[in-house]
Amino acid sequence: MTPDMLDCDAVMRQLWDYLDGELTPDREAAVRDHLAVCKRCYPQYDFEKAFVRALAGSRREHARPDALRTRVLAALRAEGFAA
Amino acid sequence: MPSSDPRSRDERFRDEALPHLPAVARYALSLAREEADADDLVQETFLRAFRNWDQFEPGSECRAWLFAICRHTHFRSSGRAQKVIAHDDADLEALGAAALHAAARSDGLEDVFERADTMAHIRAAIDNLPDPFRGAVLLVDLEEQSYDDAARILDVPIGTVRSRLFRGRRLLQERLIEHARDAGLVRHEDPDVTPEDTSRDA
Repeated sequence: MTPDMLDCDAVMRQLWDYLDGELTPDREAAVRDHLAVCKRCYPQYDFEKAFVRALAGSRREHARPDALRTRVLAALRAEGFAA
Repeated sequence: MPSSDPRSRDERFRDEALPHLPAVARYALSLAREEADADDLVQETFLRAFRNWDQFEPGSECRAWLFAICRHTHFRSSGRAQKVIAHDDADLEALGAAALHAAARSDGLEDVFERADTMAHIRAAIDNLPDPFRGAVLLVDLEEQSYDDAARILDVPIGTVRSRLFRGRRLLQERLIEHARDAGLVRHEDPDVTPEDTSRDA
């Protein structure tokens, strides 16, 4: 292992930060390099990626967006909104 | 310093704040849970935003600003205290998730989060999370806010966002995996099959 390479423990601790795009470019590259060669960590990454994707897919949109927009604009206009 | 933007105040509000109405509506629905209450919350959010538009810093994240107003309005009107909880160790939660994965894998639930029946329970599981964790999960996982913006919306340090988010995610994983087990979706590995080699390549 080179001095700059991360060990599995360090990668596991930062996996969600990595998936969330919250790591510095250098740290992100180090995690990515580790995942590319580690048969222990890559399945964990795959599992977590499916999980966060599933969470994002559960987003619930408003059933009647146009009606809501009309209502909000009417309320704003009553406050003096004129655009 | 006078603004170089030729648009009027109302035009800037129309162009910069109103496009976020669908996102605010989603967030309001997640907070209020009932559509009628959520609609009231959306309306109140945009009214407050319009009245205080001069306080919005041009160039900053308008959606995060609106989410903060929405959240503050919701908790103030609902009379619910925003609970302050102990700051858990986010790194431990991340490591806990690794243990969960190992357990799920041994039960043949490696793909549990890709199954249709799991997907059907995700929303209910999120709605049943304790508030501090649910708040972080809603903002980061459903509304794609950065940790930094989530921290501003929730008015907590980034470390708190991270620890609440990670704990919320681990709680969700536990519940969804438990649900899959209860539903009989466990597949035990064939003992005659050689386990996969997990050592790193040289």
